Amino acid sequence: MDLCEVLRTAFQEAEACLSVCSAALEIGISKEEALEALQVVRQECAGDAAKTAGGSGSTRKCTALELLEEEQAQGFIITFCSALDNILGGGVQLTKITEICGAPGVGKTQLCMQLAVDVQIPECFGGVAGEAVFIDTEGSFMVDRAADIATACVQHCQLIAEAHQEEDHLKALETFSLESILSHIYYFRCRDYIELLAQVYLLPDFLSEHSKVRLVVIDGIAFPFRHDFEDLSLRTRLLNGLAQQLIIIANDHKSAVVLTNQMTTRFGQNQSVLVPALGESWGHAATVRLIFHWDNTQRLATLYKSPSQKESTIPYNITVRKWDHIPRLFRSCDAAVQPSLCSCQTDGFSSFNCYFSFIHIIKQLCCLHPCECTQS
Amino acid sequence: MATKKLRRAKLSQELCERLSRYQITTCQDFLCLSLLELMKVTGQSYRSVQKLLRKVSLACAPKMQTAYEMKMRRSVNPSTAFLPTSLHSLDKVLHGGIPCGSLTELTSPPGCGKTQFCITMSVLATLPVSMGGLDGAVIYIDTESAFSAERLIEIAGNRFPTYFDSDEKLFRMTRSIHLYRELTCDSVLKRIKSLEEEIISKKIKLIIIDSVASVVRKEFDTKLQGNLAERSNFLARGASLLKYLAEEFSIPVILTNQITTSLSNGLAIPADLVSPAYDLSLSEVSGASGSGKRESACVTAALGNTWSHSVNTRFILQYHDLLTRQILVAKSPVAPFSTFFYTIEKSGLVLQDGKNLSNLPWDGTNPALQTIQVRNTALRNALLNITDESPGDTPSL
Repeated sequence: MDLCEVLRTAFQEAEACLSVCSAALEIGISKEEALEALQVVRQECAGDAAKTAGGSGSTRKCTALELLEEEQAQGFIITFCSALDNILGGGVQLTKITEICGAPGVGKTQLCMQLAVDVQIPECFGGVAGEAVFIDTEGSFMVDRAADIATACVQHCQLIAEAHQEEDHLKALETFSLESILSHIYYFRCRDYIELLAQVYLLPDFLSEHSKVRLVVIDGIAFPFRHDFEDLSLRTRLLNGLAQQLIIIANDHKSAVVLTNQMTTRFGQNQSVLVPALGESWGHAATVRLIFHWDNTQRLATLYKSPSQKESTIPYNITVRKWDHIPRLFRSCDAAVQPSLCSCQTDGFSSFNCYFSFIHIIKQLCCLHPCECTQS
Repeated sequence: MATKKLRRAKLSQELCERLSRYQITTCQDFLCLSLLELMKVTGQSYRSVQKLLRKVSLACAPKMQTAYEMKMRRSVNPSTAFLPTSLHSLDKVLHGGIPCGSLTELTSPPGCGKTQFCITMSVLATLPVSMGGLDGAVIYIDTESAFSAERLIEIAGNRFPTYFDSDEKLFRMTRSIHLYRELTCDSVLKRIKSLEEEIISKKIKLIIIDSVASVVRKEFDTKLQGNLAERSNFLARGASLLKYLAEEFSIPVILTNQITTSLSNGLAIPADLVSPAYDLSLSEVSGASGSGKRESACVTAALGNTWSHSVNTRFILQYHDLLTRQILVAKSPVAPFSTFFYTIEKSGLVLQDGKNLSNLPWDGTNPALQTIQVRNTALRNALLNITDESPGDTPSL
């Protein structure tokens, strides 16, 4: 303590002794002692001055161990297409920005609608029990299709509940219905980039009011920025600002942010290639980037950028919701399917559909009727 | 929304005056500035600038609705969610017909029936709701001068003979179809901008633009530098205006497009479409490319990738053989890939439901790159008696 007195007498103002080493040198004490004394002095100064509240949680520091524990405890938003979930490392991660790029008609909006329903799955069924914000800039959100997906999800969960007959499953099903799912998808239609910017500025307040939101979907981040922009540097600046705000939102509110992007043609020397739109610098905005593309008649999903998963490609399908397609799916299961694994991942085929229950239903039903799964 | 004046965003008077000295008068100007610039311009602290930002954003941001509310609103009047095309199998696959509130596009080689389809839809839109129509007027923007009023009356009279039994009904129908002839991109854009008031005053229930591609390709040559970006700009602006109109008034918008050749290396060359009699001659095109290699060319929808993103539904009409043609549902948020055969007759398009080849599900692909059969291919196939079962074959050269 007397060291503090020494410091204070040596330096008229506490702020003057900012460097530990110079303080140690001047007074002739060891560096550790000087550091201790300085910290005490600083605490006193901080206590006097008015509290300068920064953004809540905007500067956090923690050790990697704390981060590991957080990551492991964190949920994923499953897409119900096991191959897609696998390459993503479990599903769409919370607190990260995932970007989905794709050619027109490849299924980006379908996946977004599916995620908006999947985020609401109760925890006992493996979901995160959250709500969803859907920001639509292209007008491609179809309520009827979302209702179809929601109905299929509820039916799938009912199947699981029937199979397992557990108390909490049945209880959760009481509140998990078509009406409740649709009521918890908050839809905003932004017609131009100004409305989009305004909405993202207001999003933190909205998320504070609706604290159960775990997913923010912006369907079509490219569309409003691809016309009416003579000043490309303004566009880059606005996009960067948008990306920053979304990162803050994802972190502060522990939600996943999913953006969809378009593909654009880039003309090279003698060829043209399809690349994600909005330029090279936008590629840095998202943590995880998925590219959906066509290979003749097969839809493929490629994990293009991820800090933790390997780059890989899987095929997928979008099927229409019809119960009578189940037998067809059974037929496509190879005889090589092990009854114990009971998954449809033979030859890398997996289906991703508005049911999105094919994989899990098979898993569940296979457990009930193991003989059916091995029929091909 | 973007051009809303700051005064109406409930900012104080002196602040608005101070901002106008820096030429910041609309919400758009305000939101495009960075926080530092805003602090400099308003002379206020970081926190109060953030509060101002929120105020201005509140003035611009869209209203929130839950998906449930949207569904309830849809179920209140279900009949006005779609415009049935009177081609029953097609309507079934589309869960009702052409969706209201989004853009639908028709692409085909010349002479397949785009204009016939548009004329038929115009008639349908004027029919009363009990007959499956929308009981409203139609705006038909014609850029090719292909609209024929006599054909309109012929289709109406033959398709619905019981309804149009008197001349008076026919004239009432023709009076509700408003035709605009626009020949340049600028005039088309101006016309679209002016449509909002007309929709309200004339009770418009359908907008048709026939065709977008002809006017765009006349003015933008993608081989010239800079033209591609400008063309995309124009198309994106047009698409967003039309989407706004479609959603705001819950009406369908039908657009027609042309075809282009895309070589395997990806460069698209505009198809030479002088008149319906001249079809695309693929051998000429691949020879003209100049490089020594043989590239396989295929015919796809024109106007590029970005345009394929902007439209919500895409139908491709193509030739099948001498008489029949095919309609493919190439992109739709509700329908799977499907194909139907049809012929063009006095009453317009007629589906060939009897054939067992109809309603085949086919493996579709990227709607921007889906290959389309042109007339000479179909003729060639018919002459060589090749049964063409899977649509979209790349014609071999």
